[in-house]
Amino acid sequence: MSRRAWTVIGVVLLVAFAGFAFASFRTSLTPYVSYAEAQRAPRTVQVAGALEQGSTSYDEVATTLHFVLRDPETGATMPVEYDGVKPANFEDAISIVAIGRWDAGQSRFAAGKLLVKCPSKYQGAEVKEYS
Amino acid sequence: MTALAGYYLPGAIALWCAVVFALATLWGYADLHRGDESARPFARRSYLFFTLAIVASAIVLGIALARRDFRVDYVFQYTGLELPWHYQIAAFWAGQKGSFLIWLLFGALIGVPLMRTAGRHEAPVMGIYLLAQLGLLLILVRENPFTMLPQAPADGQGLNPLLQDDWMVIHPPIMFVGYALAAVPFAFAMAALFKRDTSEWAARAFPWALAGFLVLGAAILLGGYWAYATLGWGGYWGWDPVENASLIPWLLGTALVHGLYLERTRGRYRRINLVLASLVFLSVLYGTFLTRSGVLADFSVHSFVDLGISGWLIAIMAFFGGMAVLLLGTRLRHVETADNADPALSRGTFLVLATIAILVCAIVVTAGTSAPILTRFLENPGQVGPEFYNRVNLPIALLVAFLLALVPFLTWRGEEGLRAVLRKAAPGLAFGFLATCGAVGLGVHDPFHILFLFLALTALATNLTRFASLARVGKVASAGGYLAHVGVGIILVGFLASSAYDESVKVTLVQGQPVDVGAYSLTFERFLERQGREKERAEVTVSRDGGKVWTAYPKIFVNERSRQLMVNPDIRSTMLADLYLSPLEYDPGRAAGFGELSLRKGEVTRIGEAEIRFVGFDLEHGGNAMAQMSAGDPVSVGAVLEVTRGGAAERVEPVYRFRSDGEVEFPPVTLAGGGRIAVGGIDATAGAVRLLVEGLGEAQGIPARLSLDVTRKPLVQAVWWGMYVILAGGILALVARAKQVRRLGAAAQPSGS
Repeated sequence: MSRRAWTVIGVVLLVAFAGFAFASFRTSLTPYVSYAEAQRAPRTVQVAGALEQGSTSYDEVATTLHFVLRDPETGATMPVEYDGVKPANFEDAISIVAIGRWDAGQSRFAAGKLLVKCPSKYQGAEVKEYS
Repeated sequence: MTALAGYYLPGAIALWCAVVFALATLWGYADLHRGDESARPFARRSYLFFTLAIVASAIVLGIALARRDFRVDYVFQYTGLELPWHYQIAAFWAGQKGSFLIWLLFGALIGVPLMRTAGRHEAPVMGIYLLAQLGLLLILVRENPFTMLPQAPADGQGLNPLLQDDWMVIHPPIMFVGYALAAVPFAFAMAALFKRDTSEWAARAFPWALAGFLVLGAAILLGGYWAYATLGWGGYWGWDPVENASLIPWLLGTALVHGLYLERTRGRYRRINLVLASLVFLSVLYGTFLTRSGVLADFSVHSFVDLGISGWLIAIMAFFGGMAVLLLGTRLRHVETADNADPALSRGTFLVLATIAILVCAIVVTAGTSAPILTRFLENPGQVGPEFYNRVNLPIALLVAFLLALVPFLTWRGEEGLRAVLRKAAPGLAFGFLATCGAVGLGVHDPFHILFLFLALTALATNLTRFASLARVGKVASAGGYLAHVGVGIILVGFLASSAYDESVKVTLVQGQPVDVGAYSLTFERFLERQGREKERAEVTVSRDGGKVWTAYPKIFVNERSRQLMVNPDIRSTMLADLYLSPLEYDPGRAAGFGELSLRKGEVTRIGEAEIRFVGFDLEHGGNAMAQMSAGDPVSVGAVLEVTRGGAAERVEPVYRFRSDGEVEFPPVTLAGGGRIAVGGIDATAGAVRLLVEGLGEAQGIPARLSLDVTRKPLVQAVWWGMYVILAGGILALVARAKQVRRLGAAAQPSGS
């Protein structure tokens, strides 16, 4: 095959790959959204907030955790269900990022992953990831 | 003089001296660049003094840490009285300031041999290299690690417990050696463009690029092992920004090493290598910016705090980025380079494709890591998860494995056709085919995974046979590349097996009751309290088919200082798979007869078959409370109790102790008639005590429970071994390329010492 043909094949492959990579980027992207947006968006998003005091309940047998997130700025709240073992020192969290999607049937946010930021004197705060 | 009072002077003066010596060195090299040969000894001597000043400041910080001199703020923040000596050293790089200092220390030291081997472009090479050091130095002068506290505290804040690990002692410094080395090829490339002479830089920069590739690779390996074996993150790689920040320069460095090989042997890639050398260094700066400016604070497991140096980091990035763009933009097109005249099935073409694949991988990782910044300008900032990297890197890995499988049998000119190449590769292909059939038999069904395994295993085999045949004829020195490629084959198999075929389950074990997890049976035997330096840990026996195979000791404990819950997994490694037990939660349960009651002075209550009367407080327990308090000793309040059981009465006095650090203690006392009792709290105004009893009441005991993440990860060992083999191949290549520079140095450096 001629050099030109190889170049064309190479460019086509690169463009195809770039398209694939971009599509993967879009589908895998979990944007930070407000609670209202999270409830409208049918996709995986992340929401952040503070733990509503006293809202935590944990089912040890099924290992599911329920709690309510409160947006410190707007005061909006949203119930969250996390399917997993309750993170250590969860009640002490100063902020929580929940990654998941809104479950309209149960009317709560189903989180698959939590980032829990606990107060720490080591460089301000300590973030731990749970999935 | 008041401005000076805030600094620990020996260290601060050393840093300020370093700035002066750095400027003197720049001045000397500027003269040398203008042709004043007599400036060379001055410039070199100034550089040595600069290095000495940096070494001195590092030693001062080291001594302050070793002496636990808490007057120095940095020492106060990262060490404590009870920290063992080797963590005192690790505290050096526990914080941002110290880690910049150690980076600068390695950078300065690397400059010493660089100065003597830089060749005829010594002046611009050292000038540009020194500018990179100066950037770090200026950050340190501003964010000075030698600032002092107005008064020396009695004890430091201690080292972050996550960092109290033997791997932490060695992982970060090695990483910083790698970062420091990244500046060397950049300095060579910029100097070559600046001098409009790109004939020699590739040969001289090659061993440095290989050294950077090796050291950064070793650091990444250690970091992965640390995350896997100690932190209990469950994996060796999480695609976290901090991890990616070290991976991107390494990938670009890998591309540079291949590009330099192509340039040295075929005279091609003369332009591209100049770009690659710039990208390696700029990616180190970009990674530093991402991970230390706080822009990713909401997106990473690692914690970042904005130290207020974002502006500095952006300025340094802009300076060197601008320098690279300016020099590359104006002078690159004048660089002569050989056209690609090789046929498709030749070593040259495969090398080009491989560098493109590695570059694309670097771009993908950069884009993913930068997602929070990229998307900030669009809509809501977001991040991409590991599935993005895994998906997009799969086709790249397939291409790389394909190239690797055939490359040992290709020649530069590609005289041989496909048939001849395949014939030579036949034993390797046969091995790849048979091994892949075995993997399919073990349960690999995804067609992409089958193709991936076939290519990776073939690459492993073909490169191994080529390496062996070269080694047999005594040409080991030139076979480093093949050896490294054997390692890539091994590591690719390890990546696929350990990430796509791991089985993980979360279980809660009740003490003494076996639970079946897959083929294993797990029993939580007991919880062992802290003994000396040995932390609290759980004892879990793992048995299979009725036979005990392993006693695991996963650790779960609360760090006393930070009150953080810490876990360390326990891992049983075999050639085929690792069994990984990571604790999630421990509930100590409750002893039988546990009870809690509140009593006023003089009141009597019945619990089980015992009667307890609270006689009164004993404020003079162990001496006068006021005297204890003013002496800074713990203050104890005793509660005098009368316990009557079966007609026998005994008088006990459990205490409630306020420690000077604000904590409380309430040690239980054992009753002669069995059971224990402790004061759980005091209500002074009501004159009441809250008592905790054990072994007295009727309440049923609750057994202790341990929640575990149990994961079986196949072939994790292949990841470590693959990386060892890659690094061994890199060392062979480094030795060979360093020899070439020595020959070059003898031939092409008439001037200078």
